[in-house]
Amino acid sequence: MGNRSDKPMNPLEMLAYILSKQINDHEVVYIGTGLPMIAGILARKTHAPNIVLVYESGGQDPMEGALPWSVGGPATWRKSPLIMEMPYSFGQLYNGYVDKAFLGFAQIDMYGNVNTHMIGKDFLKPDHRLTGSGGNNDLSSLAENMILVGLQSPQKFVPKVDFITSPGFLDGGDSRKKAGLLGNGPICVITQAAVFDFEPETKRMRVKSLHPGVSFDLCQLACGFELLKPEGEIPVTEVPSKEILEILRNEVDPRGVFTTIPGM
Amino acid sequence: MGKFSFNEEAIKNLKITDTSILERLVDFEHARKWHLSKDRSRKDKRMSLKEAVAEYVSDGDIMTDGGFCYVRTSIQSYFEVIRQQKKNLQFCSSPNTNHSYMINAGCCRYSHNSYIGAEMRGIDRNYARQLKAGKVNILSEWSHGSMAQGFKAAQLGLPGVFSKQLLGSDMIKYNPYVKVMQNPMRNDPDPVVFIPAIYPDVSIIHVHAADKKGNARFFGPAVNDIAMAAATRKLIITAEEIVPESDIRYNNKGVYIPAMYVDAVVELPFGAVPGQMPGCYYWSRQWWEMAFRYAMKSDENFQHFLEYWVYSVKDQYEFIEKLGGARWIAESRRLTKAEEYDNEDIGVNFDYEEYTSGEWPEDMSKMRFY
Repeated sequence: MGNRSDKPMNPLEMLAYILSKQINDHEVVYIGTGLPMIAGILARKTHAPNIVLVYESGGQDPMEGALPWSVGGPATWRKSPLIMEMPYSFGQLYNGYVDKAFLGFAQIDMYGNVNTHMIGKDFLKPDHRLTGSGGNNDLSSLAENMILVGLQSPQKFVPKVDFITSPGFLDGGDSRKKAGLLGNGPICVITQAAVFDFEPETKRMRVKSLHPGVSFDLCQLACGFELLKPEGEIPVTEVPSKEILEILRNEVDPRGVFTTIPGM
Repeated sequence: MGKFSFNEEAIKNLKITDTSILERLVDFEHARKWHLSKDRSRKDKRMSLKEAVAEYVSDGDIMTDGGFCYVRTSIQSYFEVIRQQKKNLQFCSSPNTNHSYMINAGCCRYSHNSYIGAEMRGIDRNYARQLKAGKVNILSEWSHGSMAQGFKAAQLGLPGVFSKQLLGSDMIKYNPYVKVMQNPMRNDPDPVVFIPAIYPDVSIIHVHAADKKGNARFFGPAVNDIAMAAATRKLIITAEEIVPESDIRYNNKGVYIPAMYVDAVVELPFGAVPGQMPGCYYWSRQWWEMAFRYAMKSDENFQHFLEYWVYSVKDQYEFIEKLGGARWIAESRRLTKAEEYDNEDIGVNFDYEEYTSGEWPEDMSKMRFY
């Protein structure tokens, strides 16, 4: 990967850092593939060494080790005290043993509904077929607190997702509760531009903090629906220290699988 | 009127004209009758992979994908299914990673999906293409958890379970098997989803060790395999090694599958290659990169890929020769042990040359499939 230590922080590294900051020490965290895995491991190597990671294939509380390539791979159950089955690990979410769960998205709408199924109008003949749910729907249905992460663009932040794979607040208001879903729903959305939360009444997406150098207008430009503004001055998102960036680059993702961008 | 009351909206949305194709997956009576008629004798069930696939995988079967994506998955057995050119299979698994190439090979026409793709190796562009070309039809859409509950309900001997998954999602509109209902235990409005027990026709599960009757031991994530073994009508166990029954009885930790479920026992060292087998070998990263970056680009590429890795290969040993032979085995074992245990301080290096070109390599012998 060459020497990354001289390079400035890239957006994916920023994402991984903010994501890791959502995790408090001693929490139980349900982890999906990709950036959430990076964030979980970064959190454990920095401010939250005592968290327990749970994976959908059944891996539980692995010892620190190499970065998992697969949520079924050895690093998700490395010297685990025990390894569960898939339905049991989702049962841990339902029964209230998991504090936070992380989810990526291909499309997201203003109520935090997530699509990872397909892009297009015809489900049977989509423009692009994506992975489908995997564990995403289970996490979004059952988790006490959902944290959504992905890159922001008008194509991804859309007024209406082409397919609801993982419900957020559905049509807003109390529609999530009425549908019978558990937990608080999405508590925040993290992108390369900003951190968002949801306005408590309408459940519409609202800017919580903007990353350094990003204005509200720029953030709105990269979004296909109208964003809500918080009251008062919008805070600037905290950036990782040099030390944390080094841990991320040298210890968490030394091969740069998840946190390098070609050309950056 | 048929025996089953499917979710009408999903039938309509999926454009399923003949619902009989949906029935066997939830036909409990059929599965029970099948299980009742299984040979109960404590016999030696060993046979070759060829024999097992020829006898127990039938055209039109609902087949599962075992393990997780490429972890302890019976990939070499699926290649044998391709070589025997089985037809019209339905694939039903969480995840359905090893389902896409079965479509190109002409073996699989129907999907019960919860996940398509191979995680970090990316989106399965091939599946999308086959879907658009009408080469594969989706019969039901699930989440990992809800499908896992269907298998688990079958294992536990239940008509189905009430779930809190899928509510509010569009999968409800594309899954003929699930229904939103009121929780009968509650007075306040409490929507739940009924998930029926699901019974596949055939499962091939790869394990670390089995005795000749089929008692099977494995470690690492069980995923859905324990439940699938109980639910499926026909079960082929492939094992890294065959051990005496006394070994199973005295070391019964990790023996999750009892012989009574098992129809065939196949001694199949390296049966999960090019995936990972806990304690035994690491997954071949370059191979999967080639599958996703070369084969999935076009139908022609895929045929070429299958020709090289499946049709022109007799068994897993020839496959491993193409990966790099005994040297590949040794390195692959070193990698997996380093990732699973704590011997990375002996200097195991996970660096490798990523396959990125998307082109067929000019000199295959230069590829290092670690």
